[in-house]
Amino acid sequence: MTWLKYPLFAQIASSLWIIGLLVLLFLKSKHKHWISTVLFLTGLGALICFTVNLWISLERPPFRTLAETRLWYALFLAVIGLIIYYRWKLFWMLAYTLLMAVLFIFINYLNPDTFDKTLMPALQSPWFIPHVIVYIVGYAFLAVSSLIGLKGLVMLSRRFDISDTIKLADNIVYIGFSFLTFGLLFGALWAKEAWGHYWTWDPKETWAFLTWLTYLLYIHLRVKKINSKLAFWILTLAFVILLITWFGVNYLPSTQNSVHVYSN
Amino acid sequence: MKNKERRFWEHPWGYKESFLIAFTILIVGMLVEALTYGYAPTTPVWPYNLIILIGFVLWLIIANRFLKTGFIKWLSGVPAAIASICVFTVLVLFMGAIQQVRRPGFIDLIGLTDVVSSWQYLFCSFFLLLTLGMTTVNKFRSFSFRNIAFFLNHAGLWIIIAGASLGSGDLQRYRMHLVKDRALFYATDEYNQQIRMPFTLKLINFNIDEYPPKIGLMNPSNGKIYLEKGDKLPEVTPNGKYIFGDWKVSVSQYLETAKLKDSIYQNNKDIGAVPVVYVHAKNTQSGIKKEGWVTSGSFLVQPDILLLDELHAVAMTVPSSKKFSSKIRVFKKVKEYYDIELEVNKPKTVQGWKIYQTGYDEKMGKWSRLSIVELVKDPWLPVVYVGIFMVLLGSLYLVWMGKSKQEKK
Repeated sequence: MTWLKYPLFAQIASSLWIIGLLVLLFLKSKHKHWISTVLFLTGLGALICFTVNLWISLERPPFRTLAETRLWYALFLAVIGLIIYYRWKLFWMLAYTLLMAVLFIFINYLNPDTFDKTLMPALQSPWFIPHVIVYIVGYAFLAVSSLIGLKGLVMLSRRFDISDTIKLADNIVYIGFSFLTFGLLFGALWAKEAWGHYWTWDPKETWAFLTWLTYLLYIHLRVKKINSKLAFWILTLAFVILLITWFGVNYLPSTQNSVHVYSN
Repeated sequence: MKNKERRFWEHPWGYKESFLIAFTILIVGMLVEALTYGYAPTTPVWPYNLIILIGFVLWLIIANRFLKTGFIKWLSGVPAAIASICVFTVLVLFMGAIQQVRRPGFIDLIGLTDVVSSWQYLFCSFFLLLTLGMTTVNKFRSFSFRNIAFFLNHAGLWIIIAGASLGSGDLQRYRMHLVKDRALFYATDEYNQQIRMPFTLKLINFNIDEYPPKIGLMNPSNGKIYLEKGDKLPEVTPNGKYIFGDWKVSVSQYLETAKLKDSIYQNNKDIGAVPVVYVHAKNTQSGIKKEGWVTSGSFLVQPDILLLDELHAVAMTVPSSKKFSSKIRVFKKVKEYYDIELEVNKPKTVQGWKIYQTGYDEKMGKWSRLSIVELVKDPWLPVVYVGIFMVLLGSLYLVWMGKSKQEKK
């Protein structure tokens, strides 16, 4: 299965998720919970089905190109959103993660990859999958934290009580930050095997480190529990840096010759 | 607020003083960089780096235990931590935003084109190590199982940064350009100086495994392959049949390695031989038929395409490499040797040196008689790995516990 079949699965997943959210919002029936659950899981199933098929027909792990990482991101965002929803009943979080997943599905719809089985020797390593997966999971959590940051800013401007919101943000950032740390350190251990040194200030490394430092700043600012407004701003802006690390590095003039650009 | 009574520069220092100090350090670093233009700080080597490390740790412990001045207390506080992280973040931002290649100009003068070897980088790293170290030592005095994650993360990070920066002076990275069947015991460093190695290497064989070539339609005027986004180019197979737009293309002969001889392609396993196909193409609209040889070519064989019309030609892509590896004979003495197989991502250790496959003669491709290997000796690596391992454990703990759980305790 190539990316040509992707639009079908993308449409199924996106429309089922959006209908599911609408059902939860507007349907007055007492059955709305299980109806929406079926819709969410079927949509997720469609996306998983495409990913598994892509993996099989690529004959290599689909973690190499940007479109492939976006596909995983959509998948993990949806899974994390669903877990948070069923565990803590946070509807706005589910809505955000699913819509964000739909956005990434849509970006892939506009920019599908050229189907390419080749995997350069530098990527043929047992570190390949864990390194990318922990980053994608971390990115998914930090996307959620950036939304909490935005929500917090709105709440502050309306003088609502934000104590629960910032607690939630702290917890999500701790999880996301830990996964970022795993990603950085797995990358370092892999780099030692592949390129002879664990840290070479490659542009992608520099930006990943910058992202990590920004969240580190947030965590330390929150130790004294002061200035929630600044903390929310950092959360929101840190995600922009994260996105530059993920996509921007492929286009920034300052980052030519990065060893981390694997798209065609 | 009790802070209102405190005057500027009166202890305990807050955010204002911390940020002022941090950014003064950055600016002073840039000034020193400009004044000593061309003289980068030198990295200490063995045993001086060890002495510095031990001295640093001892000073941290003694200062924390006996010097109870406002300054020492400030170093282990949150404002100093935030200021030092912040100024380091700014430095890394410079690194990410400005291409790190030295070129004349103002930003080069203040060391922003090669941040890692600038004075401000040294100063800011030192400041970070000071605050991080003092915080760790301070926490260690009230060590308990409850703050194990705090300790692992802070001490681990300190060990990583200190070990990596102090150890960089002892890091040796050399290259060897191994030519087939020729023994070599000299390596070259980044300045092309020759260094004698404690062993001799001889390239026995260099090998590249390739992915199968692909076939498609190309625009002969610009050499671009026609490919719809998201679609794939088919692999070349014997008797393969393909449909590209209006053209039906079929392979009638497939020679895996061939060369041009007397103006026809013949099976040949010599250097420069390439995969070649004989294809028949038919336009389903106009019925026009074409046939001919197609190959991607190599450094010895001209690429061949089958011209269909002004805008279309059948072409083959250059196969991309799947794996490249070198069989190398390692000599300790003339008659004492053993063979190793090097591959990307699979370095081998020889007498404390890690040997990496890094390159080959790309023009010659799989017929390269040259294999470039890198030899690395990093005696401080175990130190850095201990730090990495500690931070990994500490992060694992954070994922499990989250923030609120930690605080409840």
